[in-house]
Amino acid sequence: MTTAVAAKDQVRTAMDPRRYLGDTWRHPVARAVVKAFLTIWVTTTLTFFLIRLMPGSPVELKIDELIQTSNGSLSYEDAKAIASGLFAINLNAPLYEQYLSFIWNLLHLDLGNSFLSSGTGVTSIILAVLPWTLFSVGTGLLLSFIVGIGLGLLAAYRRDSLLDRVVSTGGSLISSIPNYLIALMMILFLGVQTHLINFTGMRGAYTSGLQPGFTPAFIGDILYHASLPITIYFLTQIGHWILSMRSATLSALEEDYVTAARARGLSDGRIRTAYVGRNAVLPLVTQLAISVGFIVGGAAIIEQTFAYQGVGLRLLSAVTQRDYPVIQGIVMLTTIAVVVANLAADLLYSKLDPRIGRAGGAAG
Amino acid sequence: MPVLSVRGLSIDYITRKGPVHAVRDVSFDLEKSETLAIIGESGSGKTTLAVGLIRLSPRGTKVTSGEILYTKKGLTTDVRTLDDDDLREYRWAEAAMVFQAALNSFNPVISIWEQFNDTARAHGMKDRRRVRDRADELLDLVHLDAKRVLPAFPHELSGGMKQRVLIALALMLEPQLVILDEPTTALDILTQRSIIDLLKQLRERLGFSMIFISHDLSIAAELADRMITMYAGRVVEEANVEDMFYRPRHPYSVGLLRAVPRVSGALGSVASIPGSPPDLMRLPKGCSYAPRCPYAIDECRAADPPLIPVDTPRHQAACIRWKHVAEVLGSNAEVPVAEKLA
Amino acid sequence: MSTAILARPTAGQRLLGLWLACVGFLRLLSQRPVGLVGFIGIVFFLLLAFVAPLFVPFQNDPSLVDIYLTPSQAHPLGTDFQGKDVLNQIVFGGRDILTVAILAALVSTVIAITFGSIAAIVGGRVDSTILAITDVTLTLPKLILLIAVAAILRPTSFVFLAVILGLLQWSSLLRQIRAQVLSLKERDYVEAARSLDLGLFHIVFREILPTMRSYIAIHFIFAMTEAMYAQVFIVILGLVPVSGSNWGIMLYFAQGQGALFFRDSIWYILSPILAITLVQLSLVSFASALEDIFNPRLRGSA
Repeated sequence: MTTAVAAKDQVRTAMDPRRYLGDTWRHPVARAVVKAFLTIWVTTTLTFFLIRLMPGSPVELKIDELIQTSNGSLSYEDAKAIASGLFAINLNAPLYEQYLSFIWNLLHLDLGNSFLSSGTGVTSIILAVLPWTLFSVGTGLLLSFIVGIGLGLLAAYRRDSLLDRVVSTGGSLISSIPNYLIALMMILFLGVQTHLINFTGMRGAYTSGLQPGFTPAFIGDILYHASLPITIYFLTQIGHWILSMRSATLSALEEDYVTAARARGLSDGRIRTAYVGRNAVLPLVTQLAISVGFIVGGAAIIEQTFAYQGVGLRLLSAVTQRDYPVIQGIVMLTTIAVVVANLAADLLYSKLDPRIGRAGGAAG
Repeated sequence: MPVLSVRGLSIDYITRKGPVHAVRDVSFDLEKSETLAIIGESGSGKTTLAVGLIRLSPRGTKVTSGEILYTKKGLTTDVRTLDDDDLREYRWAEAAMVFQAALNSFNPVISIWEQFNDTARAHGMKDRRRVRDRADELLDLVHLDAKRVLPAFPHELSGGMKQRVLIALALMLEPQLVILDEPTTALDILTQRSIIDLLKQLRERLGFSMIFISHDLSIAAELADRMITMYAGRVVEEANVEDMFYRPRHPYSVGLLRAVPRVSGALGSVASIPGSPPDLMRLPKGCSYAPRCPYAIDECRAADPPLIPVDTPRHQAACIRWKHVAEVLGSNAEVPVAEKLA
Repeated sequence: MSTAILARPTAGQRLLGLWLACVGFLRLLSQRPVGLVGFIGIVFFLLLAFVAPLFVPFQNDPSLVDIYLTPSQAHPLGTDFQGKDVLNQIVFGGRDILTVAILAALVSTVIAITFGSIAAIVGGRVDSTILAITDVTLTLPKLILLIAVAAILRPTSFVFLAVILGLLQWSSLLRQIRAQVLSLKERDYVEAARSLDLGLFHIVFREILPTMRSYIAIHFIFAMTEAMYAQVFIVILGLVPVSGSNWGIMLYFAQGQGALFFRDSIWYILSPILAITLVQLSLVSFASALEDIFNPRLRGSA
C-alpha cells in the first residue's frame, strides 16, 4: 500500500466512530471481557427463571410449605411476603421488576438469606466454605499442571521410549476413571480392606478445636485433611496435562526455529526451555482455566466422599435441605469464578504470546 | 587446502518401508572465499546435503558414509567425528547456516535481541554490552536499524528484514563458511535484488566462503564462482559458472538452462523437462536421469555413470554421452546455452 | 460401457464395501493393542448390557436371609444389602446407563452438526449468534449446573436426563464442525456441487460431513464418557429419584447402606465400580486409537 493511501485510510478510521467500535470489538481482550459478562448474565438469568418460573418451582414450593407448616394460619399473601424476603425477590411486583431488583441485589452482593437460618446471609455462608474448596482444588490443579507438564515434556523428548509409553498410557488411563470411583477405590483398598489410611480421622477441613492461624501446626493440619481430595484432583487431571504437553512439545520440536536454533549452536537446555517449552506451554495455559470449571463441579462429590467442608459439600446439603437461595447463590458464584478464571487465562495468554493483541504488521 | 572438502557423502532417510537414498556419494571442494551454488529441483537432495554438512539432519536420517573435512589455519578435522560440544562450537563459529526467511526461523515468543543474545551466550560471549555492540554492528552491516529491529518480535518484521537479520546473525562469529538455503525464495523481486547485492558486499568485505542452495539459476549466475547440479541425490555436473552456463555437458544441466525464461527471448523458448524426479526408494538401474533424457541410449541404463572430467579437468559431468551433448549445443562458445537453445 | 461407472452401487456391492471397510479397520486397530483391547471391551459391555438381559432371568426378590453373602457358586459376586444377587444386577445394570450415554452423545452430536453447519453456511448474524451462545455454554460450570438443574427439575425419565446431558456437551464439536465447514465451503468440489444445484442438504451431508467422520466419531465416544460420568454422578449423590436398578444406583445404595465398610460386601460395591471403570477405560482407549488411526501424521510413515 502506498503511503498516501495508507494515510488516508488512517485518517478515515480515526474519524469514524463505527469503525472505532468495530476495532474495539476486534481487540481480543475487550472481546473476552464482554463475553465474560455475557456468560455471567446468562447464568444468573437462567437461575432466576428456573427458580421462579418452573412449575413446581422452589418459590412456589416454599410458599406452599410455609402455608402448610403454619396449619393454614398464614395467608397466601403473607407466605408470599416471607418467601420474598427469603429469596430476595419481591413477589408482588411484576416479573421484570422482580428480575431487575434481583440483579440490583446481586450487584450489592446480596444473595438473600438461607431458608434454614433466615438471618444468615447466603453470601456469608458461601464465604465460610469457599476458601477450603479453592485451597484444595487450586493445589490439586497446580500440582497436576506442574508435574504433568514436566512429564509431558520428558515423554516428548524421549518419544517412543519405555518412559514415554508408560507415562502416556498410564496418564490417559488414570484420567479416564471417574474421580469419585478413584476416591471410592482409595477408601476401599487403603482404608477398609487394609488400614493404611485413617479416613475417619481425615474428615473435615481441619481438626476441630485446633486454633486457626498461620502456625505451622495449623497449616500442617489443613494440608493433612486436604491431602486426600488434593490427591484425587491430582490423579484425575494429570493425564490430560501429560498428553497435552507431550503433543504440544512434539509439535514445537518439529518447528523450523528449533532446527535454526540448533544450527546456531544453542545448548539443548536453552532450547528446551525458551524455544520448545515456552511455545508448547502456551496453548495449555488457556486449558488451565477451562479445567477450573470442570474440577469445581467434580469437587462436590469428592468433598462429600471425604466429608471435606467446601462449597461442593455445602451445595449438596443445600440440595437435600431444599435451601434454594443457597443453591442459587452457589451456582452463580461458581459461574462467576469460572468465568473470571477463563478471563484471567485469556489475559495471561495474550501477555505470554507476543503475537496476540499487538499491532502486528511490517513495512519494508 | 580447501576450506571444506566433502568426500563421498551419502545420507539416507530411514522409513518403515526401507531406506531412502537422499544424498548419494557427493564430493566437492570449496576454496577460501569461493562461492559454490548447489542447484537442483525439490527432492534432489540439496537441502538434505546442506543440513548434513552441519550434522543437523532430522530424526530418522543417517549418514551412511563419507567425510566432511573442514580446514582452518592449516588444521583439518572431519566434522563427522566432532563430539557434541565441539560440534556446537563448530556450528556458527565456523559454519553458519542461514535458513529461508519464509520459514519459521525465529522463535516467535522472544524478541530478536534475545535471540542474538542466546546465540552469543551459547558461544561464550557473556558480556551483554559487548553483545549489544556487536549486534548493532552486524545490523548496520545489513542496513537495518538496530534500535527498531532488536526489541521487535519476529512477526513484526517483513520477509526481507527477517532474511537480513538471519544473515547478520550468521556473521556474528565471523565464520569461515556460510551456507544459505534458498536465500531469495519467497521474496519479491526488489527484495531479492537487495539481498543479492548485500551478499556480494558482505562477501567482499569479510571474505567468507559461501555455499548456497537454490533452484533458481539466475542467483547462481550472479553470485557463484562454481556450480553443482544435483539430481536424485547425486552430483551430475560440477563446473565453474562460466563453463556451466556456456558449455554444460550433462543433459540435466542443459534442461535446467533451457527452462530459464529469457527476458529478451522469443516466446516459446522455454521448455520444461518432461517427466518427474524418480522415487528415491526405487531408483532405476543405471543413470537415474535416463527416463527423462533426450539423449539416452541403452548403455545409459546399464550402469550409473561416474563423474568424469569433460572439456577441462575442473569440469566434471556424470554422462557417458557428454561429447554428443557438446555437439548438439554447437560450437558457438560465446553465447550462453539459454540463448542457443531458443 | 461408460455408464457402468456412474451406476449406483447395488446392495450387494454396498455390503461388500462395508465388509471390506470393517476388515481394513480391524487390521489398523490390531496394530494398536491398547485400542484393540478397548474395542473388545466396548463390544463386551454392549453385549452384556443389551443382549445378556434377554437370556438371563431377572432376579428381583429380596431375601433377608441372604444379606451380604460372600461369593459362591449360586452368587458369583455375592449379594447386596437386600439379599439380591449382585451379578444379576450387574448384568441388568448397564442397559440404562449405556442407553442414556448413547442418547446424550447423539443429542449433542446432532445439535453440534446442525448448528455448526448452519453457522458456517449461513454466516453473518446467525453465525455470530450461534458462536456467542456456544462460547457462553463452553465456559459454564456444567456439573454445578447439573446439580442445580437436577435438584430443581427432578427428572424421572431417562430420555429427559439424556437430553439434559446432551444439551451440556455440544459446544466443542460445534466449533470444530463450523471451522471445518467454513474451510471446506470454499473448496472446489463444493463449488462444483453448488453449481450443479444439488441443494444445501446434499452438500452438507454428502460432501462435507464424510470428511469429518473422524471428529464426529471421536467426539461421540468422548461425549459418551462424559454422559456416563455425569449420570452416575447425580445418581450417587442421590439427586434424582431412584427407581429400578443400574450400576449407578447400586453405588448409591452401597454408599448409603455402608457397604463400603463391611469386608464381606466388597463385591457389592466393587463390581459396579469395576464395570463403570472398565467401560470408561474401553471407550477412552478406543477413542485414542481412533485419533491415532485418523491422523496420518502420527501413523509413522515416511
